[in-house]
Amino acid sequence: MSKSEEYDVLVIGAGISGEEAALNLANQGYKILIVEKDLSVGGKMIHLSKVFPTLDCSACITTPKVSETARHPNITIYTYSEVSNIDKKSKYDFRALLTKHPRYVIEEACTGCQLCEEACPVTVQDQYQYDLVGRKAVYVPFSIANPRVAAIDIENCSLCGACEKVCPADCIDFTQEEEEIQIKVKSVVIATGFKLFDPTLIPRYGFGVFKNVVTAMQMERQLVPTRPYNNVLRPKDGKVPDNIAYVLCAGSRDETVGNPICSQVCCMYSIKQAQLLMGALPMADVTIYYLHIRSFGKGFNEFYQQSKDMGVTFIKGKIGKIEEIEEGNLKLRYEDIESGVVKEANHDMVVLSTGILANDGISSMFKDKLELDPFNYVMQKDILANPAQANIGGVYVAGTASGPMDIPDSILSAGAASAEIAGYLKEGEDHEK
Amino acid sequence: MKNKIGVYVCMCGSNISDYVDVEKVKAEAEKIDGVHVAKTTMFACAGSTQQEIEDDIKELKLDAIVIASCSPKLHLDTFRNVAQRAGLNPYNYVQVNIREQGSWAHSDNPPLATEKAINLVKGGIERVKHSKELIPIKIPSINAVAVVGAGISGMRAALELAEMGTTVHLIEREHFVGGRTSQWNVLFTTNETGQEVVTRLYHQINSHPKITLYTGTEIIGKKGSVGEFNLTLKIKPRFIKPDCKHDIKNLEKAIEVCPIEVDDDFNFNITKRKAIYKNYDSEFPEIPAIDCEACNKCGECVKICDDIDLNQKPEEVNISVGAIQLSTGFNPYEPAKGEFGYDEIDNVITLQQFKRLIELNGGELKYNNKEIKNIAYIYCVGSRQVDGPNKYCSRYCCTSAIHTSILVKEKYSEINNFHFNRGIRTYGKQEKLYHEASEAGDIFLQSFEEAPPQVERIGNETIVKINDILTNNEELEVSVDLVVLITGMVPREYEGIVNTLKVPVGRDKFFNEIHPKLRPVETVIDGVLISGACQAPLNITESVKSSLAAASKANSLVSSGEIELEPTMAIVHNDRCTWCDKCTEACPYNAIFKIKHDSKEVAEVSKSLCKGCGMCLPVCPENAIDLIGYTDIEMESMIEALIN
Repeated sequence: MSKSEEYDVLVIGAGISGEEAALNLANQGYKILIVEKDLSVGGKMIHLSKVFPTLDCSACITTPKVSETARHPNITIYTYSEVSNIDKKSKYDFRALLTKHPRYVIEEACTGCQLCEEACPVTVQDQYQYDLVGRKAVYVPFSIANPRVAAIDIENCSLCGACEKVCPADCIDFTQEEEEIQIKVKSVVIATGFKLFDPTLIPRYGFGVFKNVVTAMQMERQLVPTRPYNNVLRPKDGKVPDNIAYVLCAGSRDETVGNPICSQVCCMYSIKQAQLLMGALPMADVTIYYLHIRSFGKGFNEFYQQSKDMGVTFIKGKIGKIEEIEEGNLKLRYEDIESGVVKEANHDMVVLSTGILANDGISSMFKDKLELDPFNYVMQKDILANPAQANIGGVYVAGTASGPMDIPDSILSAGAASAEIAGYLKEGEDHEK
Repeated sequence: MKNKIGVYVCMCGSNISDYVDVEKVKAEAEKIDGVHVAKTTMFACAGSTQQEIEDDIKELKLDAIVIASCSPKLHLDTFRNVAQRAGLNPYNYVQVNIREQGSWAHSDNPPLATEKAINLVKGGIERVKHSKELIPIKIPSINAVAVVGAGISGMRAALELAEMGTTVHLIEREHFVGGRTSQWNVLFTTNETGQEVVTRLYHQINSHPKITLYTGTEIIGKKGSVGEFNLTLKIKPRFIKPDCKHDIKNLEKAIEVCPIEVDDDFNFNITKRKAIYKNYDSEFPEIPAIDCEACNKCGECVKICDDIDLNQKPEEVNISVGAIQLSTGFNPYEPAKGEFGYDEIDNVITLQQFKRLIELNGGELKYNNKEIKNIAYIYCVGSRQVDGPNKYCSRYCCTSAIHTSILVKEKYSEINNFHFNRGIRTYGKQEKLYHEASEAGDIFLQSFEEAPPQVERIGNETIVKINDILTNNEELEVSVDLVVLITGMVPREYEGIVNTLKVPVGRDKFFNEIHPKLRPVETVIDGVLISGACQAPLNITESVKSSLAAASKANSLVSSGEIELEPTMAIVHNDRCTWCDKCTEACPYNAIFKIKHDSKEVAEVSKSLCKGCGMCLPVCPENAIDLIGYTDIEMESMIEALIN
């Protein structure tokens, strides 16, 4: 017989939206289970540098939420875990199966001392630094991870046992197995976030071939306090770039790659990075190639104007092709829309402002049919009056699982989800009385 | 005095340590008397560091802590909670800001930034030495919320609050509910009409026992503060008897006989209405109202319908609530006379007028009796202004304009749409509308801010000229039958609310939140929340999300029946006070009263009203007032350390 646990609300995903929804509900006294498939909570936001339009340090805004969530007496978190078979038996009665993957490290015992990392002989690319640098096969995911404990990447592990020998807490455990827990809840929040567009699908941009073509997330990692090189450097030769180009709408507003819609955040994060770059590399030129600048939110247009005043160059133009020229520099061929002529420009580093896409595998978690919109985001059945409601009664959506949006919008969307759920649960309680 | 102090110097990743030598700051702190332990840390706010500080407090029996990191605006509560969990009084903690006031401000001069950080930390240590154990004040809270504005945000918030078990007073200034949403016909993306959405919500509100709806009502007075606001409401007379049979037929006849016609602001003045009116047939509440400003009390309507009572007087009602949620919405920007021909050329109208026009028009699309075939839409009117004050983007207008142009083309297939834009901002999934309009043959022409299109009347023709950057910056001219100005959002007139509630407004004149990510629906006035388009331009879905988020916050604030307040407040030393009255004049919260104490008159501070702002301190000639948490001895020893 496997373990079984009961909660009021299951929150799937521990990014900013999941945390916000969970905290709101937990503060109202509901018992919450958060299931996170990654090794740490914090989602994408915890990996960002400063966030627009206020230029607050992202880690400084997420970490208090992360630790509040982690410590809340009404919240239970399972990281490195997944849910499946979510089955609505009746109103207020959902059953699901939680699968906890083995970390091969005893979570409660690990102190995060990282001695195992020093001992481990295997180096692979570090997904949390977006492959800019390497990590070991046993590793603490990143410095502000929560829980800040090690895990073994068993696929790359050579099973040499070096980590086991050095671990002062004796917490390496290769015998760990997948654990299954039966879950019973009254309501479900889908806060599964988004995935980033894979730029290798646009071969003419040369990502993966030309080393100095990077994604915006890779640039973001070069700008965070915990940045890998402690400076902004070109991956190919470690030179400090002085003429950086941004290519907007990489994988957005593009039928040919299957994503016809606008990703809503790329204009703003690119403008933000341009401002941060001007601070980090005062001598560098930054050019943003765009179709339309979409600085629509509160304070956004002012932020855009500010970047122009700081000297960021904006060119309305669609990039046709990127080629590598001497010394790893890059030649951009583009249609300059203002003059109607095809032009070329050289830059020493190119950042692709990759768009965001709906995450896979959300509807397959549910036994009933969870409806998606034409872009594979969770369908909002009553988007005008009840924006968090999915098609299955008692299932709600928060943040980018329902469509592209920025952090402030995700937080409001999570707030809306928690209000709708609180109303729904309260109705159930009144009914029981 | 505290003498087992822990000092933690944060690197903030590298935000601080790139410019401030944190090891040096730590070393200097260690030397100070009373400092028991000093450490540097990568992120003081990270979960693991919080645990480390907790463990130190317990194991080393620290009696106070100083954390040198970022602004207390961000993390004051984080570290107070650390202290609390470790059994230390949270007020035996001082946060020193060496980031915003140190590393960030002085990134050009690391040595001096370090020196400044050392002095700030020294000051913090001296201050914490004199800190006292304080206990937050708990005040009772009424589980009721006043929601101001019964547009889509307010209605939706009211319903959710009521469903969560909170009593709601829904206060609407107009005689009817629905706000702007009721003025829009078919909505993106569900194809429901605005009036249908409003009807749906109204029926739920009407049948909910926890919601009281006040129409024609404004807040004219406020006393008290979070937990218990006492509001005075002024209700305009509707001039219809409240407890009559409401014979709708007779009331309709009364509308017919009314001799007075005024501009119909529901239709943005493109039509007229009577002094007794309903904006549309299925409007709620169902009974008409009489516009007291337009009515001359001729009595024609009374002759027909005895439900009407022209002698009704304005009423005042007092209500008590724990919190207030403002959803006062927006106004469309009103173009200046001559702005793109507005109010000068007779076929120039606004988007909002155009939307009403299409809804009201039957067979042919006509304006001023002229058939319309070619329409020019001019974007960003009143938004993203180069010379004017509105620097912001109004967010909803690109999508709304394109959606409207699609609807008009569906209804009248002969129409040609010309969009004179400054870069289309159909963000997110709204992009598919832009695509749809392009596919349908709409023409998009674009200019930059510096060279907006021009509208001219040449003979009988209305011409729109643009240097179109999409065709090599060529000057293009289009002769059109109608010019639609895509006017953005400005906040509704709110002087009354701002004056009564003292809600802060931003540079864009919309209400301001505390922080867009940390506290997006709260204002600096405790217990006053904001939601919907009174905060920033938002579309319907976005407004509803923010109103639900605010409802959730309002509910968690008032529903437990008790609110914790900061113990930071003024106290009067009775022995020194001579009641000169200077402090009451200085107090912005009317929190100071005269009382009798040992046969002399002295000042007393109300615990629930005082916000600890400190305005009364400097005006007191006897130095008889102290601010708890910022007492003279704390501040003086801090300053002493800073300047030495």
